[in-house]
Amino acid sequence: MSVVFNHTQIAEFNRLVSRYPAERKKSALLPVLHLAQESFGGWLSTDAMDYVAGLLNIAPIEVYEVASFYSMYNLKPVGKYLFEVCQTGPCMVRGCDDIIEYIKEKLDLEVGETTKDGLFTLKTVECLGACGYAPMMQMGMHFREHLTKEKVDAIIEECMNTAALNN
Amino acid sequence: MGRKILLDKAHVPGIRSYDVYRREGGYRSVEKALRTMSPDAVVEEVKKSGLRGRGGAGFPTGMKWSFLAKPEGIPRYLVVNADESEPGTFKDRYLMEFLPHLLIEGIITSCFALGSKVSYIYIRGEYAWIVSILEHAIEEARHNGWLGTNILGTGFDCEIYVQRGAGAYICGEETALLESLEGKRGNPRIKPPFPAVKGLWDSPTVVNNVETIAAVVPIINEGGDEYAKIGVGKSTGTKLISACGNINKPGVFEIDMTISVEEFIYSDEYCGGIPGGKKLKACIPGGSSVPILPANLLLKTAKGDTRIMNYESLSDGGFATGSMMGSGGFIVLDEDQCVVKNTYTLARFYRHESCGQCSPCREGTGWMERILLNIDQGKGKMSDIDLLWDIQSKIEGNTICPLGDAAAWPVAAAIRHFRDEFEWHILHPDECTKRNYGLAHYADPIHIPA
Ligand SMILES: Cc1cc2nc3c(=O)[nH]c(=O)nc-3n(C[C@H](O)[C@H](O)[C@H](O)COP(=O)(O)O)c2cc1C
Ligand code: SF4
Ligand code: FES
Repeated sequence: MSVVFNHTQIAEFNRLVSRYPAERKKSALLPVLHLAQESFGGWLSTDAMDYVAGLLNIAPIEVYEVASFYSMYNLKPVGKYLFEVCQTGPCMVRGCDDIIEYIKEKLDLEVGETTKDGLFTLKTVECLGACGYAPMMQMGMHFREHLTKEKVDAIIEECMNTAALNN
Repeated sequence: MGRKILLDKAHVPGIRSYDVYRREGGYRSVEKALRTMSPDAVVEEVKKSGLRGRGGAGFPTGMKWSFLAKPEGIPRYLVVNADESEPGTFKDRYLMEFLPHLLIEGIITSCFALGSKVSYIYIRGEYAWIVSILEHAIEEARHNGWLGTNILGTGFDCEIYVQRGAGAYICGEETALLESLEGKRGNPRIKPPFPAVKGLWDSPTVVNNVETIAAVVPIINEGGDEYAKIGVGKSTGTKLISACGNINKPGVFEIDMTISVEEFIYSDEYCGGIPGGKKLKACIPGGSSVPILPANLLLKTAKGDTRIMNYESLSDGGFATGSMMGSGGFIVLDEDQCVVKNTYTLARFYRHESCGQCSPCREGTGWMERILLNIDQGKGKMSDIDLLWDIQSKIEGNTICPLGDAAAWPVAAAIRHFRDEFEWHILHPDECTKRNYGLAHYADPIHIPA
């Protein structure tokens, strides 16, 4: 995948950078890394990080150290659909362990793995601020809450259908 | 029925949009402040209100504002802390999701008071869809003349930007947040200097929680004295509580700080009791960092007084027999829950979130996690309990930022109040792994119907 922003992405980049005083461009690093990750297939390759460093006029190491610090940046490729299931206390109390087990079984993978067809990756994460709607997971820009086995089935089916449509 | 002043309009259809919000009386505080008050007079009202920071520490907001340095020719900033990552806490999310204009109105009025022309809302990266809600509301506000230059023809300028974090609890700590906002790793800074003197890009900066800034709106509309009449003692106004765990109605509630903990848990207006008529075992009343309390000490203080949902009452008894209001993340555990396992998940959380700068925090959190996992899996030794106690006591107070304390307190409180449950796990290695949760007979469960 080419790691260069297209016109729309450059416009968004300019909007992000315009929020800070001109000499403080580096402040846009976190939002720009989000943009890069969304634009370049859901993860940040070294090429993508170097590209961002160039755009912001900072050393590549300044990008690497930030990208590796924050848990939302994927430094390895992930499946088309990333299931990030919360496993902290309040979700544990509402049965997240069963949901994680169920997804593992259903997709035949372990936590941290991607299915062979490249569609699904399963991760466990720490509290996402949805404790009252537990068990829950994050999928892309949205939360899926009050998870049950039936809901997990429906979500997986929905993903497979969307993927089939886009092929 | 408790008095609502933040969420009173949350259920008005369409309140997320500017038109409805304005029709319901929105942006009056900006009109009042800019047209009829001086910045100092706004700060004075906030002082009079007795408002305490809603981010967790409970520091008086008016006092914090009056510490802001005001050197000539250097910009000042208001940074809104919407990082909300303390397990059990999801109140700011609710406020931003349903009442985005309330936050924006509060920011404009607060910026006027502080002489800040630019404000950043730093929001946790996972709340991605809320970024769109806020940015849309900011555009609406700008379009209607509440943001930009020369607002209401008064010469006051103000801009608001939303900055997305990327998954790091530590960025809720105010100096780590500022580092992150500057495009760096979220490593907390050594204080002093405090943000009020050297904050964002070395400029004087006030960092306040979302709920704190929202509360400025009713304070300016009704006056600080009126606000201070709600609640008791130093717990003035209302507080948002996010309630979760084993309750019938998890969610976000606005309480005035006079109701009892018992009423909060059992009344239908709030948590609606515990599912399946199970007994209450324990509760973490103010977010994962604050001490867990067994049911008996939760509902009544050690002196036998009814425990009230406010700063003073929740901390009555200190850490020996009390807890804290914290961030208002109220986590309820029923009789079937296992305190060891719950404590283990929290220890794992803090290990995961330690920034790694200080060795007691970096090494101690990992060590506690491993020991707790062993005990939970039936592989613990009796000496592990004292070892855990020893480790937590060496973290507390020996680190750059309070995350170290936040990691130590839950472990200390679990051992203090549920030592027998730890011992039971160690003495019953087979039984304790067969049951996921359990051991209710070792706690002190009581059930007091509403
Ligand atoms: C580890 C850690 C995490 C924190 N997380 C948050 C948070 O998510 N939101 C918040 O408002 N304050 C958080 N705080 C408190 C902030 O440092 C700061 O005190 C607060 O934002 C001040 O706002 P207030 O005075 O309005 O409460 C955290 C503190 C620590 C030590
Ligand atoms: S206490 Fe922990 S999180 Fe805070 S600065 Fe030290 S290592 Fe980082
Ligand atoms: S514990 Fe899972 S969202 Fe908070």
